[in-house]
Amino acid sequence: MIGAAGPRASVASSTWKLLWLRVRIWTSVLRHATVRRKIGTLVVAALVVGFLVAAFAGSWALLRFLRSPELAQVVDLTQVLEALPTVILTGAFLTILVTSFGVLLQSLYLARDMDFLMAAPIPVRAVFISKLIQAILPNFALLCLFALPVLFGLGASAGYHALFYPLVILLLVCMTFAAAGLSAVLVMGVVRLVPARRVAEALAAVGAAASLICSQSGNFTRNMTLNAQQTTQMMDLLSRVNAPWSPFAWAGRGLIGLGTGQGASAALGLGLTLVLAVAIFAVTLRACEVLYHTGWSQMQAGTPRRPRARPHATPRAAAARRPAFPRLFPRAVTALIVKDARVLRRDLRNLSQLMTPLILGIVYAAMLARSGGQVDPGRGEAPQWFMQGAGQMLAYGNIGIALFIGWIMLSRLGMMAFSHEGRAYWLIKTAPVTPVRLMLAKALTAYLPTLVIGELFLVVASLLQRAGSSVVLFGMAVVALALAGGVGVNLAFGVAGANLEWEDPRHMVRGSVGCIGSFAGMAYVALAAAFFLGPAVLVPLLGGSAGLGQAIGVVVGSVFALVCALLPPYLTLGRVRRIGEMG
Amino acid sequence: MTDILIETLDLAKRFGAKVAVDRVNLQVQAGEIFGFLGPNGAGKTTTIKMIVGLLQPTSGAVRVAGHDVQTEPLAAKAASGFVPDEPNLYTKLSARELLRFVAELYDVEPGVVERRIEELLRLFDLTAAADDLIDSYSHGMRQKASLAAALVHDPRVLVLDEPTVGLDPKSARLIKDLLRQLAQRGAAVFLSTHILEIAERMCDRIGIINRGGLVAVGTMAELRAMGQGQASLEDIFLSLTGGAEDAAIAEVLQ
Repeated sequence: MIGAAGPRASVASSTWKLLWLRVRIWTSVLRHATVRRKIGTLVVAALVVGFLVAAFAGSWALLRFLRSPELAQVVDLTQVLEALPTVILTGAFLTILVTSFGVLLQSLYLARDMDFLMAAPIPVRAVFISKLIQAILPNFALLCLFALPVLFGLGASAGYHALFYPLVILLLVCMTFAAAGLSAVLVMGVVRLVPARRVAEALAAVGAAASLICSQSGNFTRNMTLNAQQTTQMMDLLSRVNAPWSPFAWAGRGLIGLGTGQGASAALGLGLTLVLAVAIFAVTLRACEVLYHTGWSQMQAGTPRRPRARPHATPRAAAARRPAFPRLFPRAVTALIVKDARVLRRDLRNLSQLMTPLILGIVYAAMLARSGGQVDPGRGEAPQWFMQGAGQMLAYGNIGIALFIGWIMLSRLGMMAFSHEGRAYWLIKTAPVTPVRLMLAKALTAYLPTLVIGELFLVVASLLQRAGSSVVLFGMAVVALALAGGVGVNLAFGVAGANLEWEDPRHMVRGSVGCIGSFAGMAYVALAAAFFLGPAVLVPLLGGSAGLGQAIGVVVGSVFALVCALLPPYLTLGRVRRIGEMG
Repeated sequence: MTDILIETLDLAKRFGAKVAVDRVNLQVQAGEIFGFLGPNGAGKTTTIKMIVGLLQPTSGAVRVAGHDVQTEPLAAKAASGFVPDEPNLYTKLSARELLRFVAELYDVEPGVVERRIEELLRLFDLTAAADDLIDSYSHGMRQKASLAAALVHDPRVLVLDEPTVGLDPKSARLIKDLLRQLAQRGAAVFLSTHILEIAERMCDRIGIINRGGLVAVGTMAELRAMGQGQASLEDIFLSLTGGAEDAAIAEVLQ
């Protein structure tokens, strides 16, 4: 019990109590979990152990090969292998430094237990240490999953001293604490200037964009090959990372020294690193104790934030300013669309999810521009009909990508349209708004921005490819119609899996429904593409005109899209009334 | 003839095997402030949620302003305003935007909306913060914004769940005065509270719910008559719902 800790409770015992409490919470959650979840946890644990063993065996074999005298006759990799611990430890430190920022922000400022912990009769230092450990533990475990097999493999392949292995772990732990301490100070420094919630929102947007750019950068680098000069440059870079003046190199060189039995080098390198890491952690911990309260009090007070300033409208001016848009739809529908647009735009966490299709669009448009819109003839042995079909497919490739981008947008805007309301849904549910109007508003909120982005992508990509106007017009019709069907499918699953109790936007839709909904949305896009584009590709191959094929595609696809646009929402209309009800 | 604005008929709600509300029958007339009391978990909020249409009853019916909440939800909802116990609002809207949004949901006359919003912002002392995002509001300010949202369409029925929680004395007083004025203008006010002093001083009639069932309804005088000589509402409430035993208190404080 925390309450049992006396006023003179030590930092160590309090830290232990707090960590033990977390373990008890975790075991309690596991004990009360469903059998499926328990089995899942066991399977994941077995997979992790299996991965560790396989990764260790793989690195051991690879590193033994890299050290083999046969290879040494071709290329000398001694420098690279000796730099390996430094590279891994540097990477580990920087990874923890960067990834800890978000989790520490959440753990120190946004977690709901901080008020309780700060008020409890336990040393503040113990609270910070336990919070740091809890926050960095998942990232540290992930890091170990990849770093330990390589470092242990290095030691095993070279027959290093037995002390090498525990010291690898000790170094990783100490450097992780130092990195987490620095990250915590960084968090507190930022929170002094910007409210924690706002930082979290911005971080989500930046994180999403960065991860997507990283994943998509592979598309650009796929065809790159390294020449001899670039390889030499990379080797030089590795040598520079392992330069003796770098504190990271002290640790790496110390480990190599320990492994190869150079006692003095090992003691100096490892000693210096450990002292520095402990000093950094101690200083940052003290700084945290000083800095924490300012950020905390700023968060409690809240910083007024205003939307873009607009002069207050007088009643008459407001009435005169009213756009023509409301006349198309009932006022409640317009109000819901305007409200959703504002809320989505202002919450950067939502923008981070919507940024994905934009980046994808840019990446694929650039790839299309690079390919020049021509099918590679290869050795020229492919039959004429195949090349013709492939050319047709490529011509409609833009439409396929526009639909793919639309699918990603709709899986956010459509499937989460109701969940997005969160706990404020009572305002709508107690208002005199029919389920049909509510559904219409949500459909338009999802459809309109998706349509704009999809059509914009299509037009820009078609211009880059110098596609014919008939193909562009056909594509615009296909995108407009197919996305309408996508709205219907996503909205229906959004109703079925609506979750108004979310804290993190990534958990908006209830697990299984969200998963099935994503697959259903994907299947819809594939089928819609087949219905719309199939005839447009096949009819010219069978001797018909391209225009006839497009016309048949539009007719067949439209029927499918309209059925999907109307039927799933109609079937779930009855559930709209029950959204937010328990039991 | 009296104008009954809220009426529950054998209203019941079950969550699985648990009976949250058990055949509650009550009526609230125009011009009346009705206090709804009960211990934690007695079924107050569930009853209120069924009255405002947030929950569908398992059986029974609710009529608001003469309209059945289940069969004529739009008319019933248009006549009522609701203030929940937790002011969960759209934090990325300003108070002004929130009120405009609610006014449009309730289809308030366009020419009236802006004037009405300004009046409510002034009344609840929110004018200075009207264009700040609700994200930056304190609990009390959110509670006031929630109240303003409930009043923007000038409802005939106002349902409030713990409206004074988190409010400063000045704001709490403002709400009490406001509710009294609304009742004097012919609205029905249905109010749940744990503060018995508020119920005793403000409410024309009081209903006490315990373990899902309505155990007493009446004016203070009627409740006193039922309470076998007990003078205060606190004593009546504890005798009807079961108060803390002296021995249990002594054990905790030991």
